[in-house]
Amino acid sequence: MKRERKCFWYFTMFIFLVSGLGLGLSGEEDTFALKGALVHPVTSASIEGATILVKKGKIVALGKDISLPEGIRVVDVRGKEIIPGLVDPHSHIGVFAANDANELPQPIGPENRALDALHLDLPDWMEAVKGGVTTVVTGPGSGERMGGQSVTIKTFGKDLEKRILKESGELKMAVNGVNLSHIPTIQANFLKAREYLKKWERYEAEADKASPPERDLSLEALAKVLKGEEVLRVHVIWANDIISFLKMKDEFGFELQFIHAPEAWKVAEEIAKRKVGVICMPIILSINLPEDLLKGIVTLQRSGVKIAMHSDYPVAPEKWFRLNASLAIRYGLEKEEALKAITINPAEMAKVDTRVGSIEVGKDADLVVLNGPWYEISSTVEKVFVDGILAYDSLREEER
Amino acid sequence: MKNFRRTKLVFNSFLPLSLTLVFFIFCLGREGDRETQLLAIKGGTILTMAGERIEEGVVLIKGKKILAVGKEVEIPEEAAIFDAQGKHVLPGIIDSMTYYGIRPFDLNDMENPVTPENRIIFAYYPFGEFMRGKEGINRDREILSGGVTSVYIAPGDRQVIGGQGAVVKTWAESYDELILREPAALDMTIGDTAKYEMKREAKTPVTRMGISTLIRTNLLQAQEYLRKKKEAEEKEGEEKEKSPLFPRDPRMEALAALLNQEIPARIEADFADDIRTALRIADEFGFKLIIDSGLGAYKLKETLAEKGIPVVLGPPTHPFVQGGEVSMTRELYREMNEYNASELIKAGVLTSLASFGFGFGRFGYATQGRWLLIEAAYLAGFGVPDEEVLKMITINAAQILGVDDRVGSIEAGKDADLIILDGYPLDIKTWVDEVFIDGVNVYSRKGGRK
Repeated sequence: MKRERKCFWYFTMFIFLVSGLGLGLSGEEDTFALKGALVHPVTSASIEGATILVKKGKIVALGKDISLPEGIRVVDVRGKEIIPGLVDPHSHIGVFAANDANELPQPIGPENRALDALHLDLPDWMEAVKGGVTTVVTGPGSGERMGGQSVTIKTFGKDLEKRILKESGELKMAVNGVNLSHIPTIQANFLKAREYLKKWERYEAEADKASPPERDLSLEALAKVLKGEEVLRVHVIWANDIISFLKMKDEFGFELQFIHAPEAWKVAEEIAKRKVGVICMPIILSINLPEDLLKGIVTLQRSGVKIAMHSDYPVAPEKWFRLNASLAIRYGLEKEEALKAITINPAEMAKVDTRVGSIEVGKDADLVVLNGPWYEISSTVEKVFVDGILAYDSLREEER
Repeated sequence: MKNFRRTKLVFNSFLPLSLTLVFFIFCLGREGDRETQLLAIKGGTILTMAGERIEEGVVLIKGKKILAVGKEVEIPEEAAIFDAQGKHVLPGIIDSMTYYGIRPFDLNDMENPVTPENRIIFAYYPFGEFMRGKEGINRDREILSGGVTSVYIAPGDRQVIGGQGAVVKTWAESYDELILREPAALDMTIGDTAKYEMKREAKTPVTRMGISTLIRTNLLQAQEYLRKKKEAEEKEGEEKEKSPLFPRDPRMEALAALLNQEIPARIEADFADDIRTALRIADEFGFKLIIDSGLGAYKLKETLAEKGIPVVLGPPTHPFVQGGEVSMTRELYREMNEYNASELIKAGVLTSLASFGFGFGRFGYATQGRWLLIEAAYLAGFGVPDEEVLKMITINAAQILGVDDRVGSIEAGKDADLIILDGYPLDIKTWVDEVFIDGVNVYSRKGGRK
């Protein structure tokens, strides 16, 4: 009996010790300084030999001469390059895993949420981290006219709640050119949503709130887009479908972005005029794309359109997301613009630019350390920090 | 020596600078006078399609519009001159019924027989080859080589009510300038094509009765819709605020536009009996009607003339017109009559000739529109006077499409859409040499790719 009690005490002490150690470690783990690298903060000029100070997962200081607090862990990254964690604005990572991407019998399903179909225990996420991708907008597939809402999430983290940047949001739509009824059907749904919105506005203005209108999840999602709270993302292929959606934007006044849009350059002026963002075709490996299109991405950027790259995982591997920008440079895009297209531009498009997309004081410490110029194909990702936690270390990998 | 070096330095730095400046001003000047640019087409035989022909006349173009036409037009000094000596000048040809620039799978909604809310303009693709080519509206040499400058595009004929058509140009500087009229008409079909595809799925309509019933029930719904809408609009003040919202229905709006006579119905009907059905329904609901294809229209020429209903005829060499497409045509209906056009015109029916052609860059069938002039020449051999034949593909087509205020003839104030031919237009040896749209020379036969 006595022995048992003794055992119990030892056990509790052990638990305390371990948890204390754990706490102490985690406290230290996301507080450190990266010293000596060439830093590309994206939103400001690159700094040679800069120091980044990270405290509790956030960037607290950035610059050449920064006084470091005493006893802080300093990571020597001399001779390396640091870019912000990459943001993939359109992917199906974790959603396509068990055939959960397309609710095909329901062609109009704006109420569906990708979050409810997310598989987190997949090796895919770590592959993304290895490529330096720290934030993804992952959403429903393009099988239906209105696929549903995407989720904006970090690729690494212990806690699902903490990983999520935006639970729902961008409404995903797709134009696959099945027949002429496609656009009118989408339009009719927006008309219904407009009525729905009016109904609720009228109800809210009433003094005696007697009987509220019936709630409709589908129309609610569309109404949010009409109110400008959410963004509409449209998968388009043909230039005439781009025009159709631009005209629809003129009519309903929502915020619009195009995904893929391999013909966007043909109507660059019309797109630029309406300040619509374009998430360009993944220009990697698996799809054979004509030269005109690859040059077209540059035309688009020069016409004043905000562009971003995407992986469209599993179409192109998430791990090679960075190479989209490299290839765009090959076809004439400036390096700065190419880096923007995989960091701050997609972050702005996903409306998460207050937290990610650049190395700025106050933003999340999502950092990618490379052993050479970021745009070179030969440079490898050495370390990836997500929320200040070392998510990937190539050296550690080798030791294993 | 020193002095020389300095001059050299000054020269070296100034020359490129001044050159750049001059070039810049030059560019600005060119850019600015697009609207006021003058062009005179001189010396040709002008077939204006609005009155007498003018021998050795002048067409003066200012920017995108025709400024003056005639024999004694004063040509300003600054005007560019295009010599058309010995050539014929014709207004741009208008193809009043095509499926040009529409991908085959966008033509019909096979799941629904009635889709008035569909608009063909959403499917119009004037951007050249898919995923290749230049920025902006790409020029299609195929259709421009036939001198076609404006086309009516429509949903396919496999549905009872296919949707709304549009009148577009074959080239323009921007997308918005491309569109002449939209919606231009509501496209319907009464005949075998509307029921063919449906048959497999055992869905209404499988008979001509079913087709008419579908049109009637939908138009009745639209009448009801219009009545309710009027009621909702008539309410005022507090009553209006408290009453339930009137929901907008794009399907009904399209039919309502038809009932309000804002747009006409274009009913594809070949046999005289189908045309009779179309006339009955039009009388019943009081909408403007245009008959498409109209193989047997000559049998009803008096009625059509009396009611002022125009007919858009198919090309005389088309397999359908020759009875090849529908096998039972030859046995059941002996409608084919090469004098169809001439009889209609003599009776006073407003008639145009159209290609009914597909064409989608390098994807579709050969663009039939390019042969429209030759199809027209064919009609001249079957009793239609030359002048009338040319009118059928220019001003008559413009009138039927409701765009005769902009195109269809060479008159002051109209769009500068015209073509220059190297011989008499209805001669088989004649080629279209130049095509001007909005005053821009968009096609040149000898000039190679433009």
